[in-house]
Amino acid sequence: MSLASGPGLGGSSPDMLWADKHVEYIVSLDKRDDEYEYWLTEHLRLNGVFWGLHALHILGHPTALPRDDLIRFTMSCWDASSGGFGAAPDHDPHMLYTCSAVQILVMVDGVSVLDEPAEPGSSETKRMRVAHFISSLQDRETGTFHGDKYGEPDTRFLYNALNSLSLLGKLNLVDVPLAVKYIDSCSNADGGYGTVPGAESHSGQIFVCLAALSIAGVLDQRLKDDSKWADRLGGWLSERQISTGKGYGGLNGRPEKEEDVCYAWWVGTSLVMLQRSHWIDRPALRKFILSCQDGEHGGISDRPGHAVDVFHTHFGIVGLSLLEWSENKDGEASEPLGLEEVDPVYCMPRSITKALSRTG
Amino acid sequence: MGKYADSPEWADVVPISQQEHMPAPLAQIAYTDEYAEAMSYLRATMASNELSERVLALTEDIIRLNPSHYTVWLYRFRTLSALPTASLTTELTTFLNPLSLRHLKNYQIWHHRQLLVSAIGSYEGEAEFLVDMFAKDAKNYHVWSYRQWLVRHFKLFHSASELAFTEQLIGEDVRNNSAWNHRWHVNFADGDGLSDSGLVAKELEYAMGKIELAAQNESAWNYLRGLLAKGAGVEESKVVQFAVKYAGLDGGEVKSTHALDLLASIYGKDPAKKESAVQALELLADKYDPIRAPYWRYRLAMVNSGVAAS
Ligand SMILES: [Zn+2]
Repeated sequence: MSLASGPGLGGSSPDMLWADKHVEYIVSLDKRDDEYEYWLTEHLRLNGVFWGLHALHILGHPTALPRDDLIRFTMSCWDASSGGFGAAPDHDPHMLYTCSAVQILVMVDGVSVLDEPAEPGSSETKRMRVAHFISSLQDRETGTFHGDKYGEPDTRFLYNALNSLSLLGKLNLVDVPLAVKYIDSCSNADGGYGTVPGAESHSGQIFVCLAALSIAGVLDQRLKDDSKWADRLGGWLSERQISTGKGYGGLNGRPEKEEDVCYAWWVGTSLVMLQRSHWIDRPALRKFILSCQDGEHGGISDRPGHAVDVFHTHFGIVGLSLLEWSENKDGEASEPLGLEEVDPVYCMPRSITKALSRTG
Repeated sequence: MGKYADSPEWADVVPISQQEHMPAPLAQIAYTDEYAEAMSYLRATMASNELSERVLALTEDIIRLNPSHYTVWLYRFRTLSALPTASLTTELTTFLNPLSLRHLKNYQIWHHRQLLVSAIGSYEGEAEFLVDMFAKDAKNYHVWSYRQWLVRHFKLFHSASELAFTEQLIGEDVRNNSAWNHRWHVNFADGDGLSDSGLVAKELEYAMGKIELAAQNESAWNYLRGLLAKGAGVEESKVVQFAVKYAGLDGGEVKSTHALDLLASIYGKDPAKKESAVQALELLADKYDPIRAPYWRYRLAMVNSGVAAS
């Protein structure tokens, strides 16, 4: 999956979704490995595969990338000795890619490859080894998680851990209440959350903290018990919508920063989890995302007139799905775009997470 | 043939090329020849766990070609730590500083810096270098996270130089939310700042002074609201007196939606002031901030039902 940007620029008609073009664009990324930028983005390769594949699922083309290749590539990033996945073959294992790998395997219904022995003749399965890699990265004093055995902690890694462990059915390996306590310690006076205690509130970190609280099973109760908390945080999040100028309707990630398509996801899904997504102007946000499409070659950019890339294509598509399905639930449906429903907590197709929660 | 293949210094190493590890067509990664060659030598030295001067040169080469390759950074730090002759300070000033100024979005650089400064055990020179970093992007999350790490690691809470630094950045851009957050961190994150009513009063004055420069600045209002909610000894009436200057009700001039918002919160708690709270929220929903009208209407409903949202 190429993470190189372009060739096109976003900036097309804000009224329709060029779904087929986006499918073509994502599938074509696999064939762009001759470009200079391709290896510069190698450290994100497995994330890139996840973004492309997930966008295709939401666009209704889950099989547009060959399943066998996806499984083979994902497993070629696996490091048997540690149990973690790297960004690409030969890269050190890391939480970010381990989470993407598990999500990819679940999406292609291939997670059973992890039930093979970790090594020929070993009684331990690959699944157990992956789960142990993840759980080994929890700081047992504070509850947070590191990205790898050398790196800094970040609430993002905490979310990655809870997300992938619950997909693997191994959440019992970590101290979930301690992780919840850590998230609470990252809450700022403005209601938001950062990477570590005291770090500036950022929409991306708010998403990971709320989603982690949800996977930990405490979010619903908090919404009932502490509506003031949800109001304050929801107020801060709704303040992220740009109300004047050319970015009208778009969202930013922090106060006084510029709008960007990817925040449609981080802010949008946080508001959905807080059951307050109607607090922003959803039709205006939809228009903003649609205006970042390249209607000719496909793909979505961060803001109109910029080069498209797979990251913003993914977050644009899932942002649109989030808007469509949250409006439906509130009985405020506008013109349907025909997108599959995204799970706001897992950032995966809802049909898949639903099936998992039935069987698991 | 290439730089490494031609070098007598590397003649004893058998490079490991990428293809042997790459089963899937999806994973075909195109390298430029120079990078591919350097990587093949890296795989070989990593396989034998070589920690040497020439590995430092090799990792430097690769980092210059692709600074995002996190594996190379970790290997470089391990090598530095193992070599008695390597100078961590030189690594910081002659290698890392110029590289950081060229690659502003790179995460690995900051982690490497943290490992180095931690090992050196001193933050001397860091503030000077960070001035250059912030001159390039005054809201860079990685750089601010690193600065907060310095505050925590070296216990710089309430430090006059840290506060002066936030003052300087807020002076340059009063809307720099990162600088405001850092100011909060330095003043209050160690736990006892918020119970110091003298400090809280001083910071309240500071925030008010900055709001006077830009009435619609969310960062300064959030700082003020944080003090009101958590700080000791804040007189609410004084805050109201200040906010009404920016949000006149009964047809007065409105210069700030944040002032209206704050007044609505304070008035909403007092049944005698309910009418004013309603008026402020209606102004927000209908006139001054209609894009978030459903949010303001929710707050309105709370006030009307007697459950004031703060
Ligand atoms: Zn973005």
